[in-house]
Amino acid sequence: MIMTRLREEAAGPDLSVVAPLYNESQNVAPLVEWILLALADYSGRFEVILVDDGSRDDTWDGVVAASIQDDRVHGLRLGRNVGQTAAMMAGFDHARGRVVVSLDGDLQNDPRDIPALVAKLDEGYDLVCGWRERRQDKFLLRKVPSWVANRIIRRLTGVQITDNGCSLKAYRRELLDRVSLYAEQHRFIPALSASAGARITEMPVRHHARRFGESKYGISRTVKVLADLFTLKMITTFRSRPLLGFGVAAVPLVLGSMLFATAAAVAIADFPEFKATAVVFPGAAMLFAAAAFYLVMLGLVAEVALNSERESANEVPNAWEVR
Amino acid sequence: MEPTTESTRRDQVADGRFVSVIVPVVEGVDDLTELYRSFSAALTARGNDHEFVFVFDGGYAPPPELVTLSHERTNLKLLRFARSFGETAALRLGIERSRGDLLLTLPAYFQVQAEGVGALLDALTDQTDVVVASRSPRIDSWLNRLQSAVFNRMISGVGDRQFHDSACGVRVLRRAAAEGLPLYGDLHRFIPALALREGYQVVEVPVPQHPSNARTRLYGPATYARRLLDIATFFFLAKFTEKPLRFFGLVGSLFFVAGAVTSLILLVNRLEGQAIANRPLLLLAVLCLALGVQLMGLGLVGEIIVHLRAPHRRAYRVRERV
Repeated sequence: MIMTRLREEAAGPDLSVVAPLYNESQNVAPLVEWILLALADYSGRFEVILVDDGSRDDTWDGVVAASIQDDRVHGLRLGRNVGQTAAMMAGFDHARGRVVVSLDGDLQNDPRDIPALVAKLDEGYDLVCGWRERRQDKFLLRKVPSWVANRIIRRLTGVQITDNGCSLKAYRRELLDRVSLYAEQHRFIPALSASAGARITEMPVRHHARRFGESKYGISRTVKVLADLFTLKMITTFRSRPLLGFGVAAVPLVLGSMLFATAAAVAIADFPEFKATAVVFPGAAMLFAAAAFYLVMLGLVAEVALNSERESANEVPNAWEVR
Repeated sequence: MEPTTESTRRDQVADGRFVSVIVPVVEGVDDLTELYRSFSAALTARGNDHEFVFVFDGGYAPPPELVTLSHERTNLKLLRFARSFGETAALRLGIERSRGDLLLTLPAYFQVQAEGVGALLDALTDQTDVVVASRSPRIDSWLNRLQSAVFNRMISGVGDRQFHDSACGVRVLRRAAAEGLPLYGDLHRFIPALALREGYQVVEVPVPQHPSNARTRLYGPATYARRLLDIATFFFLAKFTEKPLRFFGLVGSLFFVAGAVTSLILLVNRLEGQAIANRPLLLLAVLCLALGVQLMGLGLVGEIIVHLRAPHRRAYRVRERV
């Protein structure tokens, strides 16, 4: 598989810090400096992986300069702008550390929190999420939507993480090997990790206002986040038994069908004079029944897809040895 | 074969200027021998060693003259499909059976002037993976140009860059890029946009059009219908391969909402005392609800497939590492 191939160099560092960058030319140098300063007292070996996500400014030049100055700093330049999730995945795939820490490239996260996150991870967790307790962002445009979204995510996924949107997180290698992020799933890392069987906790981290450059987000994504959340919920609930999921979805249709069938029977029995013309109720009953049948058949297609991807289907959930 | 010849051939391929020319012969065949001679001469004039791979789709027989020529020359290879597989498959075969790191694809007719390939090869710097030709200046009729313009406009909505002559079959690709593209079905028409999406660096270079390419081309309605379906496929793949439910969910929820609103109206009518058992509108409402649920179900199946494939697929391509 891709990930194992990229990490075949043995005896890598203990810690990998991954930061995706998109048009952050002014932030690269201070970010690297800050990370190196924060990790000066770190006992193990570490590496910094800067991922240039197809920037249009001279971010890459900054990355190259930083990698020349310090050989613990590595850079990845992606072919085009693929978005934060895929950029993070690129960093994770190339990270060799036993522990991986991700953070934003815009200096809003504080690298000084990294040692504490790693220490927390060593207490026996697979994922430690940062929680921007005193968030330095616009109230109405950023904080309120985020607060609402986090509430909904907590409610739907049942994973009690206060701040899903914070990029500052620490992961155990084994967890990253079993969670594959795609589309815009970086917001759902806690939920996806939980569904893979990870032990998750959170801790408050510092947060700073943006110094250079512009925010790449807008409020419009809230609707998309909710749609993605619904999808995620469906997949994580029914990923190992899709037919059951489609069967459950078919229940309301079956009920509707029965309702109209009853109405049709009543209409035909009580008003025999309309018998020849009363096609609407039986028609509605048949349509609902057909739709229910169709959903069950779709569930079978999903089972076929699952079966043909045995490698994913056979995956054993994460577990750890109790000592 | 003598060992000396074999080793010189390997040296040619290794020198970085060796070009494999791939010619899928699927439509509009000109004099192929002349095509071979003039492009071969143009490449030789630039000092590029080269080989030609002609792929004949079912229904096209290699002209005898070219066959004779292929016996004399080691750098001319003729391949033939037993039945019609189409241009994309022919390109794939050519990519597989050629040796060079630089690939030049040519249509089986004179689309551009042979001298123009120099500009294409020059544009392939070490920061570039794909160079596509854009016939310019165009000397053909307004009808041809209109068709091209409409096609390019239609597919420009997908990426953030518009190519001016996406359907032009003259392109230079690095082997890695050619092998990295999802080339199947009829996707060869979208190579510039596909390459961009896969994270390759693409540039467009104007190349003078060949006079014989100026004749007006009009196709039957079935051809245009197929092109339209190709565009729809490409559009869907480009936008929604990672999140099919966004598409199916949107369409499905439109139907579902329409059905729900209609049902609500009927319910109000019923509560007001009107009979609804004989109203076809009820059937429409139920139909919309059912269709909406079915579409969302389809989208979910898509999501399950994407989710299952996720460990094997990466949305990014690393261009450089330091």
